This record gives sequence, structure tokens and C-alpha cells, in this order.
Amino acid sequence: MTQVLLPRALDELWDFLEEDPNTAVYSGGTDLLVNLRGGRINPSRLACLERIEEIRGVRDAGAAVFIGAATTHTHLLENSLVSSEFPVLTKAIRVLASPAIRNMGTIGGNIVNASPAGDTLPPLYALDAEVEIVSRKEAKRMPVSDFIVGPGRVRLGANEIVKGVWIRKAPEFNVRHFEKVGLRKSQACAVASLAAALSLSEGGKIERARLAWGSVGPTVVRSAEVEEALLGRELEIQMLAEVARLVERAVSPIDDVRASAQYRRIVAGRLLLRLAESGCKN
Amino acid sequence: MGEVRRHKRHSEGALHIGASTPRADAYAKVTGAEKFAADYYSSDMVWAGVKRGAAPHGVIKGIFTDEACKAPGVIAVLTHRDIRGSNRQGVVRKDQPVLADKKVRHCGDAVALVLAEDRETLLRALDLIRLDLEALPGVFDVEEALKDGAPLVHEDNAGGNTLLEAHIQTGDGLTAFERCDEVIEGRFETPWQEHAYLETEVGWAQQQNDGKVVIVASTQTPFRDRAEVAEAIGLDLEQVRVIAPYTGGAFGGKDGITVQTLLALAALHSNGRPVKMWWEREESFIAGTKRHPTRLYYRLGAKGDGVLHALAARLYFDTGPYDHLGGVVMTLALEHAGGAYRIPHALLDAWCVYTNNPIGGAFRAFGVTQVTAAMEQMMDMLAARLDMDPLELRLKNALTRGEKTCVGVTLTGSTGLVECLERVERHPLRTERYAWKAAAGPFKRRGVGIAALMHAAGYGTVVPDYANAKIELTPEGKIRIYCGVVDMGQGNASANAQIAGSILNQNMDSMELVLPDTDRTLPSGSASASRCTYTFGNALIGAAEILKNRILQKAADLLMAPSTDDLTLAPGKVVNRATGAQIPLSRLGRLMAESERTAISHFRAPVAKDRLDVTDELRLHGLGHAVISYGAHLAAVEVDEITGAVEVVSYLSATDCGRALNPQIYEQQIHGGICQGLGFALFEDFRVEQGTVKSPDLATYIIPTAPDTPNMESLPVELHEPTGPFGLKGVGEIATNGPAPAVANALADACGIRMFRLPMTPERVLLALRGRETR
Amino acid sequence: MKQAIALEVNGDTYEVLVSPNQTLLEVLREKLGLTGTKKGCDLGACGACTVLLDGAAYLSCLMLAVDAVGKKIVTIEGLSQGGELHPLQKSFVELGGLQCGFCTPGIIMTAKAVLDEEPQPTEESLKKKMAGNLCRCTGYKKVLDSIMGATARMGGER
Repeated sequence: MTQVLLPRALDELWDFLEEDPNTAVYSGGTDLLVNLRGGRINPSRLACLERIEEIRGVRDAGAAVFIGAATTHTHLLENSLVSSEFPVLTKAIRVLASPAIRNMGTIGGNIVNASPAGDTLPPLYALDAEVEIVSRKEAKRMPVSDFIVGPGRVRLGANEIVKGVWIRKAPEFNVRHFEKVGLRKSQACAVASLAAALSLSEGGKIERARLAWGSVGPTVVRSAEVEEALLGRELEIQMLAEVARLVERAVSPIDDVRASAQYRRIVAGRLLLRLAESGCKN
Repeated sequence: MGEVRRHKRHSEGALHIGASTPRADAYAKVTGAEKFAADYYSSDMVWAGVKRGAAPHGVIKGIFTDEACKAPGVIAVLTHRDIRGSNRQGVVRKDQPVLADKKVRHCGDAVALVLAEDRETLLRALDLIRLDLEALPGVFDVEEALKDGAPLVHEDNAGGNTLLEAHIQTGDGLTAFERCDEVIEGRFETPWQEHAYLETEVGWAQQQNDGKVVIVASTQTPFRDRAEVAEAIGLDLEQVRVIAPYTGGAFGGKDGITVQTLLALAALHSNGRPVKMWWEREESFIAGTKRHPTRLYYRLGAKGDGVLHALAARLYFDTGPYDHLGGVVMTLALEHAGGAYRIPHALLDAWCVYTNNPIGGAFRAFGVTQVTAAMEQMMDMLAARLDMDPLELRLKNALTRGEKTCVGVTLTGSTGLVECLERVERHPLRTERYAWKAAAGPFKRRGVGIAALMHAAGYGTVVPDYANAKIELTPEGKIRIYCGVVDMGQGNASANAQIAGSILNQNMDSMELVLPDTDRTLPSGSASASRCTYTFGNALIGAAEILKNRILQKAADLLMAPSTDDLTLAPGKVVNRATGAQIPLSRLGRLMAESERTAISHFRAPVAKDRLDVTDELRLHGLGHAVISYGAHLAAVEVDEITGAVEVVSYLSATDCGRALNPQIYEQQIHGGICQGLGFALFEDFRVEQGTVKSPDLATYIIPTAPDTPNMESLPVELHEPTGPFGLKGVGEIATNGPAPAVANALADACGIRMFRLPMTPERVLLALRGRETR
Repeated sequence: MKQAIALEVNGDTYEVLVSPNQTLLEVLREKLGLTGTKKGCDLGACGACTVLLDGAAYLSCLMLAVDAVGKKIVTIEGLSQGGELHPLQKSFVELGGLQCGFCTPGIIMTAKAVLDEEPQPTEESLKKKMAGNLCRCTGYKKVLDSIMGATARMGGER
């Protein structure tokens, strides 16, 4: 690696990217530096996105909210628009890595890194977030679930970057739940996680359900079968235990150093049970 | 190099025993000024690094270094052919090559040593070295390793893959089980535990013009290192000097050679330039030693009223390819296998076994952690069978002073297990446990468990456990202590200042510490075995008393006092109480000859005097200790039925520590031991498959963080130990032994599952809850 | 290829030649001689290398030195003023918040950032905010006690 570039505007960035196609971009760098040190990547140049104002911060766009890719996790945690509209995302970020990593890492980095254990991803899937991709010439949007195609693999062309994510406000969801299972209480990589957004009727019946699991497949898992099975039901343990069986079938975890596929599968289902506690509050 | 540590404090007043005096090392450590071995740099420095075999077992057919040698910036590439000495190191049995010659025996074996101008060049050069290894079948399981036909780790070892085995029978041995009303059996497995000190293995070395090699290393054992280094690379003892700054954590992992020999070898080939070696975290995990994994088979028999009658145990220790301290660890475990209980009949068998796994070595509590995890679960299993309260069962069988352990060692020192158990018994965490358990929230179950502990200090019967303390009144009037034992963080250097300061009635500002340095301080053994303050402190008391008398005599002469009777030491001076005359210590320091103002004293720790019916080899490995600490622990846990996660909500310990010289440092030791024990109990799963480490960093090897650690209470039970300095006993290790069994017993109390394998990860707990086979 | 950069550390500006892939940690320790900032894992997993950048806690092992240009960097060496210890440092000394001391600089820098933002944290909140700093000696008890002790010392001023 020969140079680190610190562009202050997108136009400056495009120039850099066109100058040398082997210029890698980063935003936060908490994963990039680990990979550089491990020799897993060797770009000729690096461009840091954090100084580009256009891709930083949270903007209220009426029916939706735009979060710039270079917005740090700490910033999101402190942002009242995010915590009021998307508490499930806030809950996930609260347990993401450690405070210093949250100061450094960004949501764009978490998305492009596309780790099945990325903590912001299950909430973004559950919120049907869209990724905005820009190049010098165009801007386009696609659902985060289309953008991420596998572990570490995303639909991002040459000289394109993620500008940010769009999340539609969804006040109808009155249960917003996130739980991460790790090997310790903090600074833990997810062994399994669940983000859930549910609408409960006054009578306690589930009217809408969006659920997304992390770390139990090559990408975050959503299951139409599971979501449909919840509709019209009340949040009680027996029902959730039945649906947990469907979850066990919907996920496709692997064994790794942190946990077995068997455990991940079981716990992915069992995480639903915690929703029984939400039946009476929220 | 070899500086003197001086101290800045806020409060005045002479030091005294029993006060929570701020540590002498605290100021330099909170300001970032303290210079650890890792902090040595110089502009002409050379970086040294190691090429490792990266295969668990293989014959070395070729080591190709030409390309690396030719790389720009590479100063030298060395192999075993460049070593003039024995090329062997080890604490008891010297079976570990500095640079592998014929074979590699585990993935961390060092094969070549590279010296380079900078770290990037070093890493590139290491990549350019090619090894031709002919793979050999490996052996990775202790019991498999003992079978006929198992691959041999050391072909020349008379015992095959057995490094050391031991058999002890007391009373009627196995036949006593026939007279038992209840017999409980259990098979336990404990994993490797990685020390995970924040400062990985590191050092700095330079050959002086006179040929002497000076090594600054993060080590617990500078004097032993010096001898090992000299022999391994063919230098005279006088040609090696080892300096040991405060370590950035050690816990047993720096009890022996890590970088020292390699650094000295590098220094012989760097043209007089200083050499630095600092293991990467991954390297530390792969090549460093770890707590021995064990497989433990227990059988415990009792009478119907709960009186223990017979114990049989078979203990297997996986030492990896080298002894390191494996035999000694196994022997201490054997001595503690039956806990602090009256068990008249026992048959104990133990094997320490060579494998191609990572190297087992010293780790805080030295084998006792493993057997206590098993024995204290056996006690709860027995209590459950007898429908007795686990604490009552322990009280009923607890040893008291004058009684013998199940291996036949008589407890001659202070013996406070009963007092510790009684403290726990009266504590609200125990008396209010039923109400607390009943208040568990949804999907939570709560339980409370206890464990009783004993931990012997020192080296045992044969190897002399001694210290030589040296103390000096400097010409500036300061008191300088030449510390012979390394302070790896436990605060013994500070305790030394407190001991000498209290005897000489001086404040911390007057105290200076010279940290261990083979040229300046005197040999006083290792920083290990809960011995540091006990052994060195005893020697230091002697030296400080001598110096005190000399100072008073000199002052009496100068003040023309008829005797020293009216003279007393006060901070910075000697005062004649009768006349009010004073003389500053700085004046005395200038007027006394060096030999007059320097005092030396030697102490050798007592050992068990029992005539045990065991082999000389077992005695040599330490069997039979005289100074023993005791403890009782209680863990209150909450289990999450959804995930299997176990949270330790509260933790209580009562420790018979003798006199606590400094209550703050006492508490530090107990808290730290508990936290490491909780890591061992719940989180730390060092994963090795076919000899290859699968958890090589702090992202995959999980140690407790602040939110994982409960509030800890550490009650001192201060029974006076007659042989201890001011009545102290060492407590550096004992607390580590409690959490695994206390938490396992609490888990059993909470939800009726018994974990025979550590750590008790959420996965194992959940699968056990579901009654499935754990992996 | 080396880049000449200027870093502002503890109020002083240092002109240094660095490799683009050099971390801030390496530059602090090896080029500026500020060895109070420690390396524990080089992976962002231990917190020993924590420094303040514009007042927030950053891991200097996960940060390229070049990327720190233009930020106000504070290391442990910059915490005490004119020989006077910062209240956190005093509290760690008196309440025994350290043993081996290798994690201590990182812990104190994190604690500084925490208290600057939340001067009176609860024990529970403090624990979570200290979660990124591993300590292998203390079991965290006296570390947390020391930080809580400092909140009392600091009163309103920081």
C-alpha cells in the first residue's frame, strides 16, 4: 500500500478511484485494518470516506430517514430520530462491539462488510432498508437483502460506493425487539441474533411481523413462512414455541469456532420466546 | 536499564503493616511512564522474529533460508546449526529445543530466527523461509498417547509418552470402598486456559563490548533464565545478565523461557546492536504455554452420615510436547486431589503425558484449579445423594490443624477452612438464598453454589524455596530494597517497601526499589507458587532488622549516646528520645561504609516433615507442602433458559490469608483470581483441533469483560500463620480455584444439570438443559 | 513510500515520516516515543491502545496514522498537567485500580471519555462503557471503584 487518501467531497473521491482502480475505500476501518494486518487484502491505495460530508449524518426525509454511510455507530446511538423511529436499530447498535469501535465504525462499513454477524444487519433487514449506491454518473437504490449476496459479498460495481441507507418510518410497529446471543455480555460476535418488528392490535393479536436473524446463515435470514405463521396470533409462549420449530427449519447455520450449527439453530428459534415478555408491554 | 524505582505519594507518615497503602508502582503506571519490557526501543535496534513449524508433528528434512538471507534489510537468519550450546531448555527436564533440529513437535515450535532492520522486513523474510517437513502422525489425546503403538513425541524418552506418573495409596486404598454406604463417580474434562496477559512475550537484548549479553525480558524467573540461556546457547553464566521489569501480566505464562534464549542468540549475531522481539498475540497463543487440560476420573465414598471414607482418582495431564513444568503441576494437583478433607483411604494415580498439542505449563494455581473443579463438584454430588446441605457436608469433613490430608501431609500451619466456611454460612448471600432464587424472572433460573479450597505455597520438600533479601541505606538517606522476586503485577515489590518501611519506620517517599536483575539483586527464586511475599518478605524482615540495628548503632556513636536504647528511627532520621537530638539518615548514609549500610538476609521456607511413602522423583517434583491457604467461595448465578447463558450475579469469597499486610493488595489478588476462575468456568474455551489452535486471538478466545464480572466480596479470615512474615500467607493463586466448582454447583442448584466439561458455555448449558449430547 | 504528516499529540505538533499502512499506535510508540499507549492485540479486541481523538475514545491499533491528521490526539502522557495527576489517575492510585498496569493507560483514557460525556454514571452504565477494555489482573472491581471514586473528586470540573 502506497498512499492513504482523505477526500472531502464525492467528486474528489471519483477522481481518486478513476486514477487507480486498485484504490480501496473504507469508512471506519475497524475491519479493514484487521484484514490489512492479516495480509488478506493488499490494495495499492486507500481512500477514507469519513471526511465526505455528503455521506455523513442522519436526515429526516418525511416518510423515510436517510442515514449516510459514513455515520458512526455512536452518532446513530445518540440520534433521537433514529432512536424514536427505529428503536430496534438502536438496540442492536447498543450491543455492537465496544464503545471505541462504535466511535470508529460506521453503518456503511457494517453493510458493505456483509458479515452474517454484522449487528446492524438484522434490524436493517427487518426494517426493509434500502441501500443507496452512487457512482460519479448515477445513483440507485436496492433492498439491503438484494445488496448483500453472501458473507463479505455485495452488489457493488467498480467506482461505486454505498452512499447510505433509506429506512421508511413504520410507526405501526409497536413491538421492536433485538437480542444478540454472544459468548459474553459485551464485545461479543453474534452467535445468533434476532431483530423483530411487530404490530400488535389492541387485543394483543399480531397484525404485522417482520423478523430477521443474524449469524444463522450466509446472510441475514428472513422467513415469510415464519412471519405469516405469527399473524393473527397472540404473543404467548406455546405459540412461540411452535413457530420456533419453523425457525429451526428456515435457518441454515454452520459450525464455527464460536458455536455449533445445532446450537445456532435451536437458539434462533428460542429467541422468539423472549417476545412473550413483550406481549404485555411496549 | 536497571533503573531504581522512586515513588511519589500524596500522604505522609511511616509505612505500617495492615494499611492499604497505595502501591509503590501505581504512579508510574497511571501516567504511562512505567517502562515495561515491551517499551524498550532504540534507534539502532534490530527486530527479531521466529519462523515456526506450523505443523503438529514432523521430521525436519530441510530449512531453506537463502532467499530470506538475501532479502534487503535482513541481518541474519539463524537455525539450530548456529547454536553452540545444548540447544535445549526446560525447567525440570530440558527437552525443548531453542530452535528445532530433528523434529517439530507442536505447531508453535521455533525453527528459524530472523534479524531484520524493521518489522515489515522481518515479516517478509519469515515468509521467504521454506521448511521441508515430513509429516508424522500426531498424538492429541492423553489416554490415546499412553496406548501401545501411539506415535512417540520423544523417541528417546524411556517412559514412551509418559513424562511422569505417580501412584499414592493411603489407608486401605480401594478396598475401603467396600465399607462405604454411598459411592459417587464422575469424569471431568478441563480445557487449556490461555494466560492472555495484555503484554505478550517480549524482550530486548544487547551484547556489550565485553561479550556479556544483557537481556531485559518480561519474565517471572530472571535467575533461572540466566542459567537456561547460558547453557542452551553456550555462554558462561557470567556472560548473561537478565533484568526483569514489572511484567504486563504473567500468571505463570512467563515462569520460564519465552523470548529470552532466542533474544540472546540474536544478540550474538547483531553486531552489538540491540535486538527486540515481541510476540504477536497469535504467536503468543500458539507458542506460549497454557493451563494443562486434564481428564479426571473421580470416585468418592462416604458413610451414610456424610463422613468421607475413600477416594480414588485417576488424573491425566496433557503437557504437550515438553515438560516445561508439567510434572510439577501434576504433582501439586495430586497433593490437592482430595481437597482439604479428612479422607482416611485413598488411591490416587496421575499421569503427565506428552502430546503434539500446545505446551502445558504453569498457570496461576498450578494444577489445583483442575482437581478442585472436580473434587468440589463431587462433594455437591455426594451431598445431593445424601440429601445433605453441601456446606454442612464440607464442615463435617473439613480438616483442622494437626490432621492429615488424604495424601498423608500433616497440616502444621494455620488451618482456617472451617472459619472460612462459617463466614460464608453466615453471609446474606447464603442465608437469604431461597428468597433470592424464588425471585427469578421469566425464562430465568437461579442457583447458589459453594466450593471449599486449599492451596499450598512454595516449592515443596526437595527444591529449596529460599530468598536472599538485600537492603541498603543510600548515601542520600533513602532505603533501597534489592528485590529478588519479580513483581508481575501482584504488588509484591510494593509489599517489600511496606515491610521494610514499617520496620525502619520510613514513609514511601524514602523507599527505593531495585527490581530483579541478576547483576544487582540476589537470587530469590521465581515469582510463582504464592511464595513471593511469604518467602522474600521473611528474608527482607531479617535484612531490615540488621540494617535497623546498624543504623541505630552508628547513630548512637555519632550522637555519643551510651547505647541504642533511647534511639528510635523516624521518617528521614534517627531521634534520641532522651535528649531530643536528631541525625538525618542522609548524614548516616554518607558516614557509613557501603558494607555497613548494606544488609543481606536469607530465608528458606519450611516444608512438610511427613515421611510420605512416595518416590524420590515425586518428592523432587514437590510433594509435601507446609504453608497452606484456605478459602470458601459462593456463587449466585442466573441461568437464561432461552440461550443457556449463565450470569454470575454475586460472588463471595472468604480466604484464610494469614495476616493481610496490605488489605488493598489482598483484595486485588482475590478479585483477579476469581475473575480468571470465572473465565475458566464460563468463557475460556481454547480450541485445538489435531494440534492446531482454532482460537488464536482475543476475538475468538473469550475472556471476561467488565459487564461479565459480578460484584465480588472478598472477606479476609486473618488467622496468624506462625511462619509467615507478620503472620502472612500467600494468596496469589487460591482464589482461581473456586469459581469453576462454585458456579457448576450453582448451576446444578438452579436447574439440576451437572457440567462435567468446562467451560460451561451457553451452548453446553442449553444442550444439557435439553438433555442432548453436548459436543 | 513514506508520507510526511503532522500529528497533534498532547498539544504538541509532531512532524513525522510514516508509511501509509502504519497505525497510529505504531507511530505513537515507535516514532514519538510515547510508549504509555500499549499494544495488546493489534486487533481492536483489548482496548490497551485507547487514545482520545477530539475527545472520543479511539483504538489506535485500528487507525492509520495518516487518518489521524487534523485531530487532537491525547494519550496517557498528556493527561496529567504540569506534574499534577488527573483526578482519575489519583483515584486509580489510591483505590488500587491497577495491578500489572499494562491495560491501565487504555482504561484511564476510556474512563476519561466516559466521564467527560457522563460525569455521574451509574455502576451499570459504567460497566457497559468500559466493556471494550480487557483487564486480566483486577477482575474490574477496583477499576470501576476507581472511576466512581474519580467522579466524586471531579465534581463539576473536568
